[in-house]
Amino acid sequence: MPHNYAAEQIDQHKKALLDILDTLPSIIALVDRNGRVDLVNKRFEQFSGVSAADAKGLQLEALIPQFASDLQQVAAVIDRQSALDNARIQSGLGADMRYYSLQIYPLNSDVSGMAVIRIDDISELVRIEEIMAQTEKMIMVSGLAAGMAHEINNPLGAIMQHAQNIERRVSAEIPANFKAAAEVGVDLNLVRTYLQKRGIFDFIGHIRNAGIRASEIISQMLYFSSRNEPGVVNEDLTKVLERAVGLAATDYDMKKKYAFRSVEIVREYAVEPLCADIALQEIEQVLLNILKNAAQAISATAMSRQPQIILRTSTSGGMAVIEIEDNGPGMDEATRLRVFEPFFSTKEVGIGTGMGLSVAYAIVTKGHHGSIEVRSQPGEGSCFTLKLPLQGRG
Amino acid sequence: MNNADISVLLVDDEEMIRDCVSAYLEDEGFSVHCTASAEEALESIVSISPVVCISDLRLPGMDGEEFIARAHAISPSTGYMLHTGMLYILSDELRSIGMTADYVLLKPIHSLSKLVEKIKDIAETGRRL
Repeated sequence: MPHNYAAEQIDQHKKALLDILDTLPSIIALVDRNGRVDLVNKRFEQFSGVSAADAKGLQLEALIPQFASDLQQVAAVIDRQSALDNARIQSGLGADMRYYSLQIYPLNSDVSGMAVIRIDDISELVRIEEIMAQTEKMIMVSGLAAGMAHEINNPLGAIMQHAQNIERRVSAEIPANFKAAAEVGVDLNLVRTYLQKRGIFDFIGHIRNAGIRASEIISQMLYFSSRNEPGVVNEDLTKVLERAVGLAATDYDMKKKYAFRSVEIVREYAVEPLCADIALQEIEQVLLNILKNAAQAISATAMSRQPQIILRTSTSGGMAVIEIEDNGPGMDEATRLRVFEPFFSTKEVGIGTGMGLSVAYAIVTKGHHGSIEVRSQPGEGSCFTLKLPLQGRG
Repeated sequence: MNNADISVLLVDDEEMIRDCVSAYLEDEGFSVHCTASAEEALESIVSISPVVCISDLRLPGMDGEEFIARAHAISPSTGYMLHTGMLYILSDELRSIGMTADYVLLKPIHSLSKLVEKIKDIAETGRRL
């Protein structure tokens, strides 16, 4: 019977079409020009938590409200008969932050005016892009840093050491100075009184201190760019983290300026040891640096809420995972993207060199084949995640 | 040992480094000799017979690492220090002649009085290589 045969054919095609839609990795929905759902695929059901049968006839933007602003364009897309493409939509907060791409295509064969919406989770892609851009920048900067550090050390040494020589050549403790002064007919004690009165000794002290500060930055830069491999040990990272917390608690600045002891430390540690091959001092330095940053950050919001740092250790896909989360002021996206850049600092001049986290980045990625990331939400706090390859005690 | 009895040989191709370190050491009363290259230093090390020799690592021609190994063969009673702007890990050869990380000075030396202490330490306790 031709009529039944045709109906059977239509059913078969419809089923095949649904199968295809369900097989695709994208979230797909077919809507009319008012945004009402006609059809959705399996991914959509999983994503929205609403079954295809329940979704039918409902307003799409009510089912997936995070995309509402783009979905309001459905009618315009159908009228214009030109697709809409939003390459990157950020959704969710903090740890749940994801990135999506969204396209709306007009169905041009359909006279009733329908549109297909396709949404893809591109979070992983975005993350890889970010890491790649960062790595490239780091490689370039580390080469520059090594060359520069080297060239600066000698002139810096001359500045600092000659400042010391000047101090000594006008010192009353060296007999040769009195002799030389007498030879030219001046009284060294009067020269010293004059220098004192005009603040020259202070100036020389400033030159020395400035030199020390500059040279500390240089040595951090050298560390950042060096490829040497210091002693590696197999150690339980939870223990290393605990030690870093201990170091932070005894650090003078942390005690005086940031009242580290009043910070509530919440520990959510893995039961099993997380053994990894690490350069112990380096990883301690990384953890200490992150802890210090966290302490400094939460000191800014300590008046409004109890400062808290949550420490977590776990394993994931062959990697040991360390999370250090604070409930400080957090940071905006622009800051977040730049925190691992050398010389990027949000702290006052003289407080941070802007090298700490870039050194941490180099140690973790280059030195340990791990990764370091930060998630943050302004007003909510920041969370640094460190991943290092697990290695059994050998 | 009196500082005047302690002779120091300074090897650095940068004139400003030779000047500032030697000025300080001379004020301390040491007898200081300077050369701008490892080759020159090797020629004069026997006649100077320094108690302490401080060599830059990066030198034109022979570098500080090789220089110290050779100089040690000629003048084994001298105590050697390596002055470097890089993070440096001692070679096995320099370790084998008794050098330790204590004798590697990182540029720029913040406080020359520390250098003086090290020189005296080498001279007085006879901790020579």
